[in-house]
Amino acid sequence: MTATNPTTDAAHQKIAITVDHLVKCFAEIEVLQDVSLAVPEGTVTSIIGSSGSGKSTLLRCLNLLERPDSGEVCIAGERFQFGNGQRIAHSDLERLRSRVTMVFQQFNLWPHLSALGNVIEAPRHVKRLGRRQARQLGEHYLEKVGMIDKRDTYPVALSGGQQQRVAIARALAMEPEILLFDEPTSALDPELVSEVLSVIRDLADEGRTMLLVTHEMHFAREVSDQVVYLDTGRIEVAGTPESVFNDPRCQKFASPTA
Amino acid sequence: MNYSWLSDPFYQEYLWTGFVNTLWLVAVSATAGLALAVLTALARLRGPRPIAWLASAYVTVIRGTPLLVQLFFFYYGVGRLMEGVPGLRESWFWPIVREPFFFGALTFTLSVGAYSGEIFRGAMQSVPAGELEAGRAFGLSPWQILYRLWLPRAFQIGLPSLTGEMILLLKSVPLVSTIAVMDLLQAANIVRDETFLVYEPLLLITGIYLAIVILLTLVMRTVERSFPGVRATQGRWLPMRRL
Repeated sequence: MTATNPTTDAAHQKIAITVDHLVKCFAEIEVLQDVSLAVPEGTVTSIIGSSGSGKSTLLRCLNLLERPDSGEVCIAGERFQFGNGQRIAHSDLERLRSRVTMVFQQFNLWPHLSALGNVIEAPRHVKRLGRRQARQLGEHYLEKVGMIDKRDTYPVALSGGQQQRVAIARALAMEPEILLFDEPTSALDPELVSEVLSVIRDLADEGRTMLLVTHEMHFAREVSDQVVYLDTGRIEVAGTPESVFNDPRCQKFASPTA
Repeated sequence: MNYSWLSDPFYQEYLWTGFVNTLWLVAVSATAGLALAVLTALARLRGPRPIAWLASAYVTVIRGTPLLVQLFFFYYGVGRLMEGVPGLRESWFWPIVREPFFFGALTFTLSVGAYSGEIFRGAMQSVPAGELEAGRAFGLSPWQILYRLWLPRAFQIGLPSLTGEMILLLKSVPLVSTIAVMDLLQAANIVRDETFLVYEPLLLITGIYLAIVILLTLVMRTVERSFPGVRATQGRWLPMRRL
């Protein structure tokens, strides 16, 4: 996939996510300080930066697992403003979260459900699909991540890489407009990283809108249309992979591994 | 050892009634008590402050006082007070609530609710936060997260300790012989009083208690092992999460 310049692209491409002056504090610490970002539809954006720079928090603010303290997020056609004391209705959250799904660092599969059970849980009980329809959907996405043989296996008997692939199928089965990946390979043994990355690469090639928090610099460079370098809660550099990785401000972080 | 009294149909009937009553008390108190335990755990973890405080006070009082004293308190105290409540004696449930069996079941239910409530609270807190967060991230409602994800997992985690609670419950049941419920111990007491044999009836009911505990342990162990997600694929029975 060739990297395109999001700034010129954005002019004739729909924007999937807009983040405007977002601030998030934990206790006294400003984890996100005035973050603004635009993600065009059908592109891959990678968020890089050292631990504690706010990458995961930024991602978690997008599906409202964290409530920002102020600013605005427009995502999947929904606009959320923060800091005005407004409550967000559960129906709005549910709608948002069935359109924007997440893959976690620790997989977070439900251990008492089989692989298929994990994948169809939300389609069955949030989208209220029928049993047969959900099953077909679930099998389709398990097939896609190469886990159809393990359909009836419980997470306890799956390797980390397999669990993460099931977790990706679970995120896909909601047929979301946007996929969020929160360090999807950080908890994996080195030899299991590539199977997960290859699934993510396939999804990128399909032109899905994805946000990826990652420490895999080579991978970020290769699949992303846009790279955002976050440092202590601020966007330090953003742009095409080339421009960001060649930027001196980012190089002292990225070059030891890149 | 003289077991000739065992052929007497009167003693047979006492023992059978005692056996059935003992099992009934365990079954009723375990069922109602576990339901109460879930509510207590939920109240302590998620309830608004007054409710959480109330649940905590309930646990403290029940765990802080002797079971036998509680039994007497309900039977002699509350039971006598209830007789004075106007209209109660004429109501349809009076025949149930005037029975000592009812006060036994009530006391044990409250006891199981408090002790198992604490076990359940610990089990609920041991469910990894990420699993519940994943539920939120996929748009499940708080109620769905509770009954589809949280409670089943907490139940699985708490199962070994809950088995222990059930065994303790069974062994608390002989206390009801003091309020004239015909349980196994009461049956043995009657045999002793009429035949002047002390050890034989006691040995017999000891064997019965032991047999029930062994059976209970085996059943619970099977449940533990066939709980979905413990083994690689679904076992034959307990089709809790069949697709």
